[in-house]
Amino acid sequence: MLKKSMWYSVLAIACAGFIVLASGFYQAIIVTTMLSPQPSSEAPMTQTTEDSTLSSKNPNSVQLLILGDSVAKGTGDENSKGFSGYLPEYFKNNTSKEIIVDNAGIDGLESIGLLEQLQSQRLDKLIADSDIILVSIGGNDIRSILSLNTLAKEDEFKVRLDNYQSSLKLTFKELRNTNPNSIIIFLGLYNPYEKATSLEDARLLTTWNYNTQQLVEEDGKAIFIPTHDLLKFNVGKYIAQDGLHPNSAGYQALSNRISKSVETILTGL
Amino acid sequence: MFNLIENEVLKMISKKRLMFVLAILVVLISVFAYGQNHTAERTKAQLAQRMGISATADWRKLADQQLIDMKNRLDSPYRDEKDKSSLRVRIEQLQYNLDNNINPLEQSAAKFTTKFMEQSIFLFLPLLIIMLAADMVSGESSSGTIKLLLVRNVPRWKILLSKYLTLMILEIVVLFFAFVLSVIISGLFFGLGGWLAPVATGFKLVAGKLDTSAVLNVPQWRYTLMVYSLAYFVAVVVGSISFMISILVKSTAASIGIIMSTVVAGNFISYFLSDWKITRYMFMVNLRLTDYLSGSFQPIEGMTMLFSITVLLGWAVASILVSFVYFIKQDILV
Repeated sequence: MLKKSMWYSVLAIACAGFIVLASGFYQAIIVTTMLSPQPSSEAPMTQTTEDSTLSSKNPNSVQLLILGDSVAKGTGDENSKGFSGYLPEYFKNNTSKEIIVDNAGIDGLESIGLLEQLQSQRLDKLIADSDIILVSIGGNDIRSILSLNTLAKEDEFKVRLDNYQSSLKLTFKELRNTNPNSIIIFLGLYNPYEKATSLEDARLLTTWNYNTQQLVEEDGKAIFIPTHDLLKFNVGKYIAQDGLHPNSAGYQALSNRISKSVETILTGL
Repeated sequence: MFNLIENEVLKMISKKRLMFVLAILVVLISVFAYGQNHTAERTKAQLAQRMGISATADWRKLADQQLIDMKNRLDSPYRDEKDKSSLRVRIEQLQYNLDNNINPLEQSAAKFTTKFMEQSIFLFLPLLIIMLAADMVSGESSSGTIKLLLVRNVPRWKILLSKYLTLMILEIVVLFFAFVLSVIISGLFFGLGGWLAPVATGFKLVAGKLDTSAVLNVPQWRYTLMVYSLAYFVAVVVGSISFMISILVKSTAASIGIIMSTVVAGNFISYFLSDWKITRYMFMVNLRLTDYLSGSFQPIEGMTMLFSITVLLGWAVASILVSFVYFIKQDILV
């Protein structure tokens, strides 16, 4: 009797299970093989074709273009403003002209990504029109090596730095080909993990910033703005909840610093 | 036929081998659940230390921030349309977590149950199935009971078919218990919920790169169902192959050894997968079917869900054919 009931329960489980599993199997195949819903190809090409003549800029405005990673984009600001929100506010004190901001920052962008973005020529018109270009890049290049052990870190750092430098050179070349006159403001890197950083890591960051600065200063109309010093003792105050990006106060402090550096130029524009 | 299967199933149950498999499941799931619990605690502690805040208590703030960022990103005209679908999927997940007050760092029975099967599909599950399948015929040969079976007035193919169907039934039973046991045991650690949470799937390989343009969210229970269905498919394939070996090789120990070493070797061979093309036609390297669901597969041109399923199906059909032909033709001294 026990055997009989055992057999029936096994049979019941097997039959029910087989039907359920067969349906799941079918779903799994559908989900992994179906075609993409929309093969959108023309969507991102909107701003290139409006005007065939490059540089059709309005003489009564100052155009600011922001390029680079999440810091450029303004990630972390609880008011969602970032540099695009605060810089015009500070710039207003020095110029009577209208300030137009375009932000092409992309979260997680690495230096090679920025170069590709520029080489795609999608931004050429914006670049040609802009008076000031703010660039923040490099943080994502260096961030992923933090978790490596000391030996591997040193090697990997050298590789990353080399790659970064070569793509940065090309980036400047690309920018200058399109617009030889604009002021380029380049933001240095800061250390959001100030509390948990070894001396070794601090040295790598300084090396990185030093090399970047040298490259930036080679261009006559570019300026390197350090951020490390501003944030070092203010991590708690200027870094957002995510522990990585500046918060609203941080972006304001940085914007203030940037506006002070280009004050005179702005008045002359 | 029906009676034959009943007889075989009862034989397997009385042989205690099934009980043994279930016992292994209980032990392993408990260890795994305890380990996951431990890891989760440590991750929390590390996060708290690294960011100087208790990320677990403030996860809502963090998630709100991420949500705003992602929505901004979605609106950015500079982003490729391709990235947007994966962004939408992540927004949907985060929104769900916020709406239902689920800390994404916390485990749940549903997540655990799925993860357990995803981790066992390529080695642990096949080994359990081998334990069941490898002595189905060779066991009868070595103990001599095969003669008693064959002198009955039933065609040989019917006897073998009943054994094969029994194996298919037992595979369902094993998966059923794996599911029920992991739900119950992990439920003790993490609570029983989480079946409605959205999970991303629908990754594809286009021109050698992971394509996320068709990613979508499915509820966790559907995802789990898909994972277990794929696991059943794997179980049937591995079962068929070990069934064949148990017919070809008379000794149970040898047949278990052969098929086990093959499966284990598959884990090494998958290392050469991208360079050495013929390896992708081996069944052992195609067992990780669930990776196609979760998008965590190595992007290798030509290796897709359909490819892997076809290869596995080919092996299963071939093994069944060989088994029947050999068993019917074979001389057995009565």
